[in-house]
Amino acid sequence: MDASARRALAARVLERSRADATEAIVTSEHRALTRFTHEFVHQNVDVENVSIRVRAIVDGRTGVASSNAGDDAAIDALVQRAAEIAAFAPRPAEPPQLVARADVTAPPAAYVAATANASAEERANVAAAIFAQATSNGCWCSGYVTTAEGGLTIANSAGADASFDGTECGANVKMTAGDSTGFAERYSTDARVLDGEALGRRAAEKARASADPVSVDPGEWTVIFEPAAFGELVIFLASHFSAQSYDEGSSFLSGRLGETVMGAGVTIRDDYAHPLRPGAPFDWEGTPKSRVALIERGVARTIVTDSTWAKKLGRPNTGHGLPAPNAQGPYPLDLVVEPGTAPLDDLIATTERGLLVTRLWYVRIVDQRKTILTGMTRDGTFLIENGKLTRGVRNLRFNQSLVDALGTCAFSNEQQRTGSYHYNLVAPAVKFDHFTFASTTDY
Amino acid sequence: MEFSVHAERALDTALARGAAYADVRFERTRTERIEVRNGDVAALSDTRSEGFGLRALVDGAWGFAACARFDDASLDAAAARAVAMARAGAAAGIRRIGTIPSDAYVDHYVTPLERDPAGVPLGERVALLLDAERALHSAPSIAVGLAWLDLWRTEKEFYSSIGSRIAQTIYQSGSAISALAVGDGDAQIRMWPGDRGMYFGGGWEVIELAELRENAARIGEEAHQLLAAPQCPSGTMDVILGGSQMSLQIHESCGHAAELDRIMGWEANFSGTSFLDPAERGRLRYGSPIVTIEIDNTMPRGFATCGYDDEGTKCVRADIIRDGMLVGFESSRDTAAQIGSASTSCVRAESWEYVPMIRMCNLNLLPGDVPFEHLFDDVREGVYMEANRSWSIDDRRLNFQFGTQIGWEIKHGKRGRMLKNPTYGGVTPVFWNSCDAIADAASWFEWGTPNCGKGEPMQTGRTTQAAAPARFRNVAVGVGYGR
Repeated sequence: MDASARRALAARVLERSRADATEAIVTSEHRALTRFTHEFVHQNVDVENVSIRVRAIVDGRTGVASSNAGDDAAIDALVQRAAEIAAFAPRPAEPPQLVARADVTAPPAAYVAATANASAEERANVAAAIFAQATSNGCWCSGYVTTAEGGLTIANSAGADASFDGTECGANVKMTAGDSTGFAERYSTDARVLDGEALGRRAAEKARASADPVSVDPGEWTVIFEPAAFGELVIFLASHFSAQSYDEGSSFLSGRLGETVMGAGVTIRDDYAHPLRPGAPFDWEGTPKSRVALIERGVARTIVTDSTWAKKLGRPNTGHGLPAPNAQGPYPLDLVVEPGTAPLDDLIATTERGLLVTRLWYVRIVDQRKTILTGMTRDGTFLIENGKLTRGVRNLRFNQSLVDALGTCAFSNEQQRTGSYHYNLVAPAVKFDHFTFASTTDY
Repeated sequence: MEFSVHAERALDTALARGAAYADVRFERTRTERIEVRNGDVAALSDTRSEGFGLRALVDGAWGFAACARFDDASLDAAAARAVAMARAGAAAGIRRIGTIPSDAYVDHYVTPLERDPAGVPLGERVALLLDAERALHSAPSIAVGLAWLDLWRTEKEFYSSIGSRIAQTIYQSGSAISALAVGDGDAQIRMWPGDRGMYFGGGWEVIELAELRENAARIGEEAHQLLAAPQCPSGTMDVILGGSQMSLQIHESCGHAAELDRIMGWEANFSGTSFLDPAERGRLRYGSPIVTIEIDNTMPRGFATCGYDDEGTKCVRADIIRDGMLVGFESSRDTAAQIGSASTSCVRAESWEYVPMIRMCNLNLLPGDVPFEHLFDDVREGVYMEANRSWSIDDRRLNFQFGTQIGWEIKHGKRGRMLKNPTYGGVTPVFWNSCDAIADAASWFEWGTPNCGKGEPMQTGRTTQAAAPARFRNVAVGVGYGR
């Protein structure tokens, strides 16, 4: 469904609503996935759907109802249900307000027709190229190829009318070679950049290079995390930048805006228009997104807000709202860690003894306020000796305060989009001078 | 059955296009959520969704297409897409694993209910949560109080090209409260019931059983007390895990480890593989002889209980660990066939738009014979830990580290002072072999998890791990804080 059809659907919702104020969010998607293992496809999926979410405000109370049926009778039932729910909701301390119309422009290359029109055969061809690399390198592979197009329209009775159409695609692969594994990934809005042969070759090289891994002692190490691994850590900072967690005290930033909280080389932004990940220019309330510096050269600069928290804290609305109302508060969905100046090879070359980590797994919070995280290395962990990668290392578990680690670190000069289905952000590789591993494994 | 005409058309189209077998699942879901946060209703929503997902088998490869429109053209198009996807996959792959089922069922199933949520006024639902959330603020340090409930009603109709016609109506419900205390640079959380709330198959009676109002003040006070509690010590000592933490321990170190698709590498690029191997069935000592873990997808109050799974297999009960030995797996029809076994009815899809896959369903640790209070009797030094706060396990399900919201010191058989930030770690079979006592049926409970994640794109599963508290010897404690 294109933007004009979504806008027409949203307009019908607003016309048929009898609430004091109404917001309609219409989302459309067409996504396809080819998922494989051991050189055969075990999931081959194609899904189409359109959803409508109605927020009705009646006498200062809010009700929300959603459906994926769009005929007139279904819309009448939907707006009526939202209004009925509102009647039972208590009136909040701050009356809800809908945002007004604002002009927004989608960033370049957010929508690529070649991705939207990609066929099952095209995805299968990327997978087949990966299979060929697995076979020729004596590995077996597991991964996926996906293409998707999606659209979002937000309209409300205060005049907001914002639409965005985007495409997404990606491929990732894990290669297994006996006692070692390797990983490679690529995500974009343009399916033409998906190169199965290159991804398969890189993952296979990692697997082969880390064969016959050795155990190293846990403890404090100098560690280089490639973007796929670093991204798994960075995403756990996101909630700390929310005005809600800042105000309520669960963020490490609480009460520290303006202070130096990380090393001078650390700049973290939220940027919906980054060329590696161009996304929607407005949030889930229809507010234009601001491109903000959250951490600038180590100094805590700002937090992100939505309409509720901007008003509550007397701060600007940065356009980081989730569908309202919600218990999560505002959230930065487009994190970008700024690069450094040195190539990754230089970060390795200047390391006397350390580890290089390709990817992490099951990272979880041990202590939210102290930003202590735990997790495991996987899919290519290497020993660095005298500035060179010398051999594979068996996987390790870490326990580390991320903010402490970011106190003394350096970044590579090349950023990469990472995160797959689970989050999306842009990050370079990072070298931490001090990073603590707690235990090891026998693989 | 409502969708029989649509189903017949879609299946006929798939067969005409070249499918050797096809099935189609129509679903209509209603999801209601209410969430109260610091006195405000932060969410009050009613979501309805309907559509169908069709699987087609061509040359031993599967294709899946899903659509929310039921007109003839959409049914035909979805069937054609599923066949095209299967054909493209068959051409690219070098193996064929899809199998045609031999059993067809004509049946129906409805979750037993005591009180249909549809009959509970919205005002009553909201009032319960407002009352409970208000009571959480029983101490001045409570910065965030949360109370929420979820209600699901799912109507499914499953049809297959070999004649299955199965109608099911599934009710699932749950609720929880949570208090976050903040002070002196620290933040401590407590939740009730357990660490995810109380969730299982059923209606409003599930919400009432949680006794949110009755426990809220105590939970708020415990969160407050944790700010000043001493840090959990580090060292090797005995551990007693409460029931909800035991459910998490089963979930992560046995439930996911015994999924046969994961063992066969189907999840390798994301959620990993497993240390378990079908060749070790009957030979691997997974745990001590008192450890028996079984699938029961027919159990009363099970969150995953239904009549048939999402590929039309009748739900069963099956052993995974019997007297400490590995004896079985969570499986689908295709994966079970690979090891010469039968499906254990563990295939689920999050909704109509998701492809069915192996999911942890109801997987339970059978109770032991020790009254809960006697678990402490001969513990010279240890920690009693309850309610999960942090969980991480490696991608072969071996090296784990878990943390809980609260703990209590154990000295010379007695439970003592409260401890904050408890953590422990271990290696799965070593840990389960150190289990020397499991509490009896009096403290066994069906702990449900509403948000088990697996697959790409991730599907959220609803699962039960029933368990009683248990005791483990010589465990590494305090590992999350620098031991």
